[in-house]
Amino acid sequence: MTSAPTPRPGRTASGPRPSRIGEIVFASMCISLGLFAFIGTFGIRVPETNRVGPTVFPMLVAVLLFASGVAVLIAVLMGRLGQQEQSEDVDLHHRTDWLTLAKLVGLVVAHLFLIPIIGWALAAAILFGGAAWTLGAKRWWMALTVGLALCLTLQILFGELLGLSLPLGPALGWIAPLF
Amino acid sequence: MDNIALLLEGFATALRPEYLVFAFLGVLVGTAVGVLPGIGPAMTVALLLPLTYTLEPAAALITFAGIYYGGMYGGSTTSILLNTPGESASIVTAIEGNKMARLGRGSAALATAALGSFVAGSIATVGLTLLAPLLASLAVKLGPADYVALIVIAFVTVGALLGSSVWRGMTSLGLGLFIGLIGTDVLSGQQRYTLGLPSFADGIDVVLVAVGLFAVGEALYVAARMRSGPIDLIPITGGWRTWMTKDDWKRSWRPWLRGTAIGFPIGTIPAGGADVATFLSYAAEKKLSKKKGEFGRGAIEGVAGPESANNAAAAGVLVPLLTLGLPTTATAAIILSAFQSYGIQPGPQLFTNQPGLVWTLIASLYIGNVILLVLNLPLVGIWVKLLQIPRPYLYAGILTFAAFGAFAVNFSIVDIAILLVIGVLGYFMRRYGYPIAPLVVGLILGPMAEAQIRRALQLSQGDLTTFVTHPFAATAYLILGVFVVGGLWLRRRQRLFEDTMTAELAVQDAVTK
Repeated sequence: MTSAPTPRPGRTASGPRPSRIGEIVFASMCISLGLFAFIGTFGIRVPETNRVGPTVFPMLVAVLLFASGVAVLIAVLMGRLGQQEQSEDVDLHHRTDWLTLAKLVGLVVAHLFLIPIIGWALAAAILFGGAAWTLGAKRWWMALTVGLALCLTLQILFGELLGLSLPLGPALGWIAPLF
Repeated sequence: MDNIALLLEGFATALRPEYLVFAFLGVLVGTAVGVLPGIGPAMTVALLLPLTYTLEPAAALITFAGIYYGGMYGGSTTSILLNTPGESASIVTAIEGNKMARLGRGSAALATAALGSFVAGSIATVGLTLLAPLLASLAVKLGPADYVALIVIAFVTVGALLGSSVWRGMTSLGLGLFIGLIGTDVLSGQQRYTLGLPSFADGIDVVLVAVGLFAVGEALYVAARMRSGPIDLIPITGGWRTWMTKDDWKRSWRPWLRGTAIGFPIGTIPAGGADVATFLSYAAEKKLSKKKGEFGRGAIEGVAGPESANNAAAAGVLVPLLTLGLPTTATAAIILSAFQSYGIQPGPQLFTNQPGLVWTLIASLYIGNVILLVLNLPLVGIWVKLLQIPRPYLYAGILTFAAFGAFAVNFSIVDIAILLVIGVLGYFMRRYGYPIAPLVVGLILGPMAEAQIRRALQLSQGDLTTFVTHPFAATAYLILGVFVVGGLWLRRRQRLFEDTMTAELAVQDAVTK
């Protein structure tokens, strides 16, 4: 065994604690959402005939969200931070790689805009290939090939054979008459 | 008894060759996806839900039953063979299972887990068969105030008692309730929080939230801090044929039964399902074992008991789900939304309105269990291969499938955008230690809670005391009070237990190094 710290099963074996500022921002956003939900109830029109209108439950939810958000915020300010979730493939000792996250989010956005233009299979293949490459696949052409094979299979199986309406796009339009 | 006749009828349907194929496929795909590291049961069910959209209700239910049991079992294979901590329900299995695998007894660990799952799953399904119709006939008498009490119990146990922080759980619950509010109010026809956007008018689809939180959120969470280096997989020696010795059998059968006895009741009450059950079973086995010294070093009882408890709880969770329409775990919440998408409304009337479908579902649970056993042991080699999938491809695949699932809901790209936003939320929730399950449960039960509250107040003409004066509701709140105190105590015990566990393991590792 190497001397590198090997994480063990068990929730207490977490690595470094999450950043305090991030926690404060997240809790504050939950509080703001609670406020928004509360103010939003005044924008809901209440029909006069209803005894219990459509605003009662939203108010309860808003109060719950606001109060629990405040409780979390107080706990964080007192130094009790959350326990980061563990997962098989996560190394909590690594620093957060924001660039990778931004690339993945960008790829999903590109995917959704590409579907109407080039069809589902190709747009999904780009998402798969791009994501695999971003995450460290060694050969980008391999990632793209696997993506193409996978997404074409899905397109044919679900789009053509099982009847989900996945757009084929201009490049693959010739497939439709085959099935 | 006509229930037995109905069950036999269910078997007659579920055993038809075309349905057997669906059951087989469901178990196979469910296990395969469940085995994949980073994918827990809830994510398995959420990701595979769109695959059942194209099937007719009976076939979809049968496939789904297979996916549920397969996904439940798949996680234990992962935790036994992979030397990294995973999702919480299989943490306990990982403690002993992982040590056994490292001692070269991996196939024995897998075998006792598979057999235990089968025994527990079968007994618990019998329990479900006997208990569910009984409970359904009682549940018909419940009024709206009683339902409110049950939902409040589910909220408090899932939100406050599970997870490491009460207020983070409640915040997560609040977020789920809020997302559930978005859309058009059914009773008054008013739009709420839609910001005038037409995409929000029908509300946000549960599938989008579940897939976004579990699949996209997890993929982003892993991507940000991916474990580098080779995959730490423990090789299986000897194949599955040399699985369990006579001694292993002797040490396993009692834990299987005890695990079932602990898991099933805990699954049926809204106490958080498998998570608590596995921990209690492990503690019980450790206490009862004559070989206490072996615990922490690969004791087979520590795999047999918790694994059985896990599967028995999985079947137990279906009792309140089918009879009351009350999901008590994130996985159950997703199953409920799946049922609704097939046009089935779980609840007390289900057994009288759609007996054919329910009994087919219950029959297919028995069948799925058998298929699971038949498939699992011989296919261990394939599961091991699945664990070796290069991580970039695995998470790229999860992301692609998530986008596919979101698009398949309405064939609208707006849904993929919503999926992404919820995925980012899921990322930050994981990062800051907010549990995901309360959000999903809140999202599903929120609209139900509101409808029942309004109905109760309508009946009582606005008198708020209606919520506590019904005998059933009053008892329920009383039990909840006991739960909260007991649950908090149990959680402290669990944390202490895990702390000593980690300390013990650290000491042992220092010795073995």
